[in-house]
Parts: sequence; C-alpha cells; structure tokens
Amino acid sequence: MRVALARAAIVAVVLLAWEIAARVGSPLLYVPPSAAVPALRDLLLLRSYPDLPENLLITTREIVVAYGLAVAAGLAVGFALGLYRTLGRVYGPMLAALYAVPAVVWYPSLMLFFGLDAASKIAFGFLLGFFPITLATLAGIRQVNPQLVTVARAFGARPATVFVKVLVPGMLFTLVGGLRTGLALSVVGVIVGEILGSKAGMGALINHAYGLLRTADYVALVVVTLVVVVATDAAASLLERRARRWTE
Amino acid sequence: MTPGRARVVGLQLASVLVVVAAWEGLARAGWVDALFVPAPSAVALSVPSVGREAVAALADTLAKTAVAYALSVVLGVAAGLVLGSARVFESTVRPFVIALYGMPKILVLPWIVLLLGYGTAPAILYGTLHGFFPVAVLVTGAVRDVDRHLLTVARSFGARPLQLYLKVILPAIVPSVIAAMRLGVVFCLLGVLVVEMFAGLRGMGSLMGAFANGFRAPELFAATALVSAASIAIVLGLDAVNDRLSRWR
Repeated sequence: MRVALARAAIVAVVLLAWEIAARVGSPLLYVPPSAAVPALRDLLLLRSYPDLPENLLITTREIVVAYGLAVAAGLAVGFALGLYRTLGRVYGPMLAALYAVPAVVWYPSLMLFFGLDAASKIAFGFLLGFFPITLATLAGIRQVNPQLVTVARAFGARPATVFVKVLVPGMLFTLVGGLRTGLALSVVGVIVGEILGSKAGMGALINHAYGLLRTADYVALVVVTLVVVVATDAAASLLERRARRWTE
Repeated sequence: MTPGRARVVGLQLASVLVVVAAWEGLARAGWVDALFVPAPSAVALSVPSVGREAVAALADTLAKTAVAYALSVVLGVAAGLVLGSARVFESTVRPFVIALYGMPKILVLPWIVLLLGYGTAPAILYGTLHGFFPVAVLVTGAVRDVDRHLLTVARSFGARPLQLYLKVILPAIVPSVIAAMRLGVVFCLLGVLVVEMFAGLRGMGSLMGAFANGFRAPELFAATALVSAASIAIVLGLDAVNDRLSRWR
C-alpha cells in the first residue's frame, strides 16, 4: 500500500516537473503533459490522424506475421540443432556468434531486398525474434536430463512419446522464456523497421508527426504504440505464468 | 559419438564454403537478381573501392560507441550500486526501471534527434541509453545478492561504509560487472548504428543507409560484413578477457 503510494507520488512528481520544465523551456520541444493529453484525445477520436486504425492494424499484422514466422523457424532450427548432436555442435556456435552482431546491421540489406513495404519490417521482426527462440530451444533441450530419455526409451516409449512426455515438459520453462523474449524483440524489430523507413504503420505516422514538428501528436502516437507493446507483453507474461504452473 | 574439435571446425568451414559457392552459382546463373543479392565475387571486388570509406566510417562509429560504452558502464555501475544498496527505494522504483529497460527506445529517437540535432551527440546519448539499462539491472541484482554474512562480519569488525564498498561489495560484484560489460557493448553499438541510420551524417550506419538507398548492393554487403566482423571480434575479445579474469580469480 505504502509502496503503491510512493510510486504514484514519483509519477506525479515527474509529470509535474515535466510540465513546469516544458512551460519554462519550450512547449513545442518538450510537450508538457497538459498539451499531450488533448493531443491524445484528438488522436483517439480520430481527429488528428483519421487513418490511425488502419495503421495500427498494419503494425499489428506485421508483428503477428513476423512473430509467427520466428516461432516456426526458431522451433524448427532449435529442435534440429538440439536433437541432432553433430548439427548442434557445428551450427550452435555459429548462430551464437551471429547473435553477437547488432541485428540492425542487416536492416539496410533487408530494406534493399524487400523494399519499403511491410515485407522488410516482417523480415526484420522475424530476424530479431528468431535468435532468442532458437537459442532457448537449444538450451532447453540440453538441460533435459538424458537419463529420463534413456529410461523412457527402455520402457518402450516411441520417439513421439518421448518428445511429448519427456522432452517438452522438461524444457518448457526455458522454452517459454525464449518465446517471450522473442515476442518482445519481434515487436521491437517491426517498430524499428517502421521508424527507419516506411510508408504505413505506426512508425510512418510517428515520422510524419515528427517531420512536421507536430510534437504533441508525436507524443500521443508514441503513447498509443506503447500501449500495443505493453499489451503484447502482458499477454505473453500471462501465458508464461500458465505454462510455468503447468510444469511445476 | 560427438565429433572432435577439429572436425567441428572443418564442418563449419565447409558449410560456409558450400553456402558461398551455392550463392555464387545462383547469382551467376541469374536465379537471384544481382541488383539485390550480388554474387560473393562481386562483393569481394567492391572491397577495394569501398574499403577506405568503410574503414573510416567504421572508425567513426566505433569511437562513438566507445564513448557511449564508457558512459553506460560508469553510470550503470553507479546506478546499480545505489539501487542495490537502497533496498526499499529499489523495490519502489523497480517497475519503472523494468519498464524503461523494456520499452522500445526507438520511439524516443525522433525526440532525441529533435533536441540534439544530427551528428555525434544523439548517437552517443542513444547508445548510452541502450547500454545503461542492462548494466544497471545486472549490477543492481549483484549488489542485492552480496552475501549478507560477509557484510555483517565486516561491520562487526568495524568496517566503515566506504571500506564496506571497496573491500566487500566491489570485489563480490566483479563477475556481474564483466558479464554486464559483455552484454552492454552490443547494445551500445546497436544504438549508435540505429541513430546513424535514422539521422546520421557520418558513420557506418549512415554509409550503409546511403548504399541501400543507392542500390549499391555489393558495397552494402561488404560494409555489412565489415561491421559484423568488427562486432564479433569485440565480443570474442571481451569473452577472452572474461575467461582470463575468471581463471585468475
């Protein structure tokens, strides 16, 4: 209770300080909360950007497709590398080395190849989500106790049964963590792609507002985009908690 | 059952060669458009013409990254020490720290560029913003988890607060600081490159953006390979330092 009060007080102090600083400095550059709130209202009532719903839908669709592809490819590659020891020993370290490269270096090539439309954003969101999912799948398989697999086999379990009854429950904890990280990164990838260059989506709107110095609208658009980010993360954390309860 | 180290390296090299050869073959046969995916030989041929420019741009980028990195580590460790020591405060502000850490920082990039203009300052600020949070979060956890018995014993032997930090807490968090430094460098480089792509006049990000916009695919691929190699070398270097330090400890 007291902690909640203290947190509310911190938020209030920050907003107040921001308001004062923005009014003293430049309201155009620093956008006081008192200017951001009406801008947010105008945005949500579709007065400032009537095409907000379409663009929100475009961004959401890019995120869903990018993440779906990342999950499918990440699980496939992760299981292939985890279940076939030689493949894992050869390609696991190569993947880990590629993971050490800041992913944004691939973005110009993706933009060249896929153009300014949704495809390059999907490709970048896919790329960012793919690595954590693959590496978590690989780590998950490696942490399953091999004796459990041997025992299950000795009792005559078929490969499919071993997979469903031994492998998946044993690795779920790590796997779900990777899936959640992958989602967060796919979301970031799509948004980064849109801001670095796009014709539609939330990033395009943000760039438009910023380019025209409509700073209050820019803040409002950022708030709406953050709501999407927080909502996907909240959904993922709910699933994660459920999966963890199931393994315990 | 599992292959030896030499065979693993051999297979890795062989795979790379197969991929490069297949890619060259596809490009020569005209199955992929050379405008978008140039053959490896074309990329290699572009290296002399682009080399000097790319190396200068890379040096510019790495210099900004170095400043951002130093700032992230110093500020991150300082914040971690404060947050890790002040428990009540830390548990109060934790949700804010996690929210700031997790939020896509690209959303504030237009605002940063608006305030600081094009050039070096926004790149350093944004790179620092990327590197600061992972370092701060890791160090906070490490300080919080320092063995309470050690602190109690040191206090009961009359250690003053400063001594407590220098003799007990700092040595205990060294592994976490090193882990954070390894993690942070990629984030800093990422941040600097993003700013250069978004609003850079110099540096690798801006050069790569220019190559992409000019459909100069061979040069773009060569530049991409150069940054990737530099980044992998930095991380492997930090790993080697880390290994040596942990052996020494």
